[in-house]
Amino acid sequence: MASLVGLRACFSALQLSQPSLLHGSLRLSAVPLSRRTFAAEAKKTYSRDKPHVNIGTIGHVDHGKTTLTAAITKVLADAGGASYKKYEDIDNAPEEKARGITINASHVEYTTANRHYAHTDCPGHADYVKNMITGTAQMDGCILVVAATDGQMPQTREHLLLARQIGVEHVVVFINKADAVEDKEMLELVEIEIRELLTEFGYDGDNTPVVIGSALCALENKDPELGVNAVMKLLEIVDSYVPLPKRELDKPFLLPIEGVYSIPGRGTVVTGTMERGIIKKGDETEFMGHNRSFKSVITGIEMFHKSLARAEAGDNLGALVRGLKREDIRRGMVMCKPGSIMPHQKVQAQVYVLSKEEGGRHKPFVNNFMPVMFSLTWDMTSRITLPEGKEMVMPGEDTSLTLTLRQPMVLEKGQRFTLRDGNRTIGTGLVTDILTYTDDDQCNWG
Amino acid sequence: MMSLTFLFRTAARDVTKVSLCQHVQSLHSSCQLLAVDKALLMKLRKNTGYTFINCKKALEKFDNDTTQAETWLHEQAQKEGWSKANKLEGRKAKEGLIGLFIRDKAAVMVEVNCETDFVARNEKFQQLVKDVAFAALAHHQNKTKSQTGYIKSVLPGEELSKLSANEGASLADQVALTIGRLGENMSVKRAVTVGVPAEWHIGSYVHGGVSSQTEVAMGRYGALIVFQGGKEAERETLGRKLGQHIVGEAPVSLGNMDDLSCGESETRLLPQTFQGDPSRTVAQFLRGQQARVLDFVRFQCGEAASEKTE
Repeated sequence: MASLVGLRACFSALQLSQPSLLHGSLRLSAVPLSRRTFAAEAKKTYSRDKPHVNIGTIGHVDHGKTTLTAAITKVLADAGGASYKKYEDIDNAPEEKARGITINASHVEYTTANRHYAHTDCPGHADYVKNMITGTAQMDGCILVVAATDGQMPQTREHLLLARQIGVEHVVVFINKADAVEDKEMLELVEIEIRELLTEFGYDGDNTPVVIGSALCALENKDPELGVNAVMKLLEIVDSYVPLPKRELDKPFLLPIEGVYSIPGRGTVVTGTMERGIIKKGDETEFMGHNRSFKSVITGIEMFHKSLARAEAGDNLGALVRGLKREDIRRGMVMCKPGSIMPHQKVQAQVYVLSKEEGGRHKPFVNNFMPVMFSLTWDMTSRITLPEGKEMVMPGEDTSLTLTLRQPMVLEKGQRFTLRDGNRTIGTGLVTDILTYTDDDQCNWG
Repeated sequence: MMSLTFLFRTAARDVTKVSLCQHVQSLHSSCQLLAVDKALLMKLRKNTGYTFINCKKALEKFDNDTTQAETWLHEQAQKEGWSKANKLEGRKAKEGLIGLFIRDKAAVMVEVNCETDFVARNEKFQQLVKDVAFAALAHHQNKTKSQTGYIKSVLPGEELSKLSANEGASLADQVALTIGRLGENMSVKRAVTVGVPAEWHIGSYVHGGVSSQTEVAMGRYGALIVFQGGKEAERETLGRKLGQHIVGEAPVSLGNMDDLSCGESETRLLPQTFQGDPSRTVAQFLRGQQARVLDFVRFQCGEAASEKTE
């Protein structure tokens, strides 16, 4: 099964092919099994033999983020793991549309000996936040680029703060432009300073790997010690320091229910697409949502009218369950590994509000606004509580806010959702924290 | 100068290597010199925030005299800023901040642009916004000293740049300096100043605020409202609520108190549905408060820049 790597990886891989399309260099195409209908004969097939990791570059303007990215592709192109992208190709970041949201980002892909990487470079703060919320290219780690001539500069701080906010846990430092500094001591000073800064922002500054080199040397084939070798060393470190994201298959299983059917002579069948994990015949399971919860056992799994013993993330299937009536279960509930997920009624979330051009509202919303929240296969009325000091949210802005649901539904940290009002999508978001529901949160739901 | 110091240092090092035992004195002194050098460099960098390479140059030039080095760095920054500003001219700058400040019966609202929102969060950039706001306000007060009554003046970017900031340097110089420090193109876009007679009031609202340390409120949207009446104690909240409505609903004109609303797409302020209480229009809300709006200004960051390109 080639689509073993999680759905998200498929999604970002799909995104990857767009910029390359734009540049006319049809190097790769991502055709996950679930989307095989894409006309993709003319393209090369994306092979999935290496684990996929998303990384990005951050750093002060003119410190060489783009030059480094170009250098990485060049060095790896020589080794056969990438196609060389010139500085200009990367710098003109095409606008991407993900779930109707425009993100300015450039994507580059390359392979090292062990892994396949998608490399993201966004020009603005808002772009990184949108990226996080939509999950276009969730960064598993990032490379902080600092010029040896300058040391950390104002934007370096802003970028680190941002990396912290969007949940990047692994940072590797590349001290660039080392060829422009003759004095070794200066390099040491820059390194000391950046380690202090990392510690200040809550990273492990003392143990963060730091590579000293020059991306320009690598591009111009000069001084291999600072050039090619440093870039190779950086990639080796990224390979070993940034851990692989946990694969969807290794997680406890979850099937958001799309439909429930009663089949005479057999029993009740639930259908849906496996979000994650693996199920086998005979597995114990739990149904949850809409203020209900039942325990049961999976007695049969079927896909394309064929019965199978085992199904995994990404499969669209029907599961026969024991001892439940059709009326017990409804769309919006989930079938999950017992105890792995709980319904909640109040969450903290990071939300991006669509601008009018992106199909959102043209008006702002204020406290106590009540949109409908859509996530997995359920939808539920929710009430918005804005953080203190914030009175309204304008279209095109991102904000953190609290959502209270009319009824508890299955929610967990990291879950994505959409907010709609009437027939219009107003925003999309990511659950950042689960809060406890208190009596004060009760209100009149109209 | 640089090569001299370098020579001296290598020489000193060599001496210590060769005759470690005999010349304890020499070893000691050379180590100390290096240590001082390094500590000073760190100190100078911490204090000024200028790049490592420039700090080093400065120290070498003035033989580790930090005061002289600092002055030289400042001069250098101004020069570099101008050359950088010329280099970056023409790069699109449509992010940035709206700065808003009210004192007594006068208010100022300015827009300063930069390229990315990272820079807009920077203290140095916010300092620039503050300088621009104060310069515009000072200019307004100088010009209107003898006049009373309602005065509203709009200053385009070019005129603003000629004004002088607190220490006599022109705003254009300040902008160049900040460009040199932050490495992005910036421009002073526009400013509006209003002065009102004693019985009128100015309300304001700034949205999308950044936590600025100065007394100038900053954000991505700003609104100034000139109004009359209202209850003494509630004037501030009234101004704020109206400002919020203006930022949110973006009215284009004022309209009349008796105008009928033409629905969702209404662009006149008074017949618009009031954001703080959707059951009433702005005019009805104002009647309830016994207040009257006379004028308003709304700034949205980047709107002027994008209009031009379209």
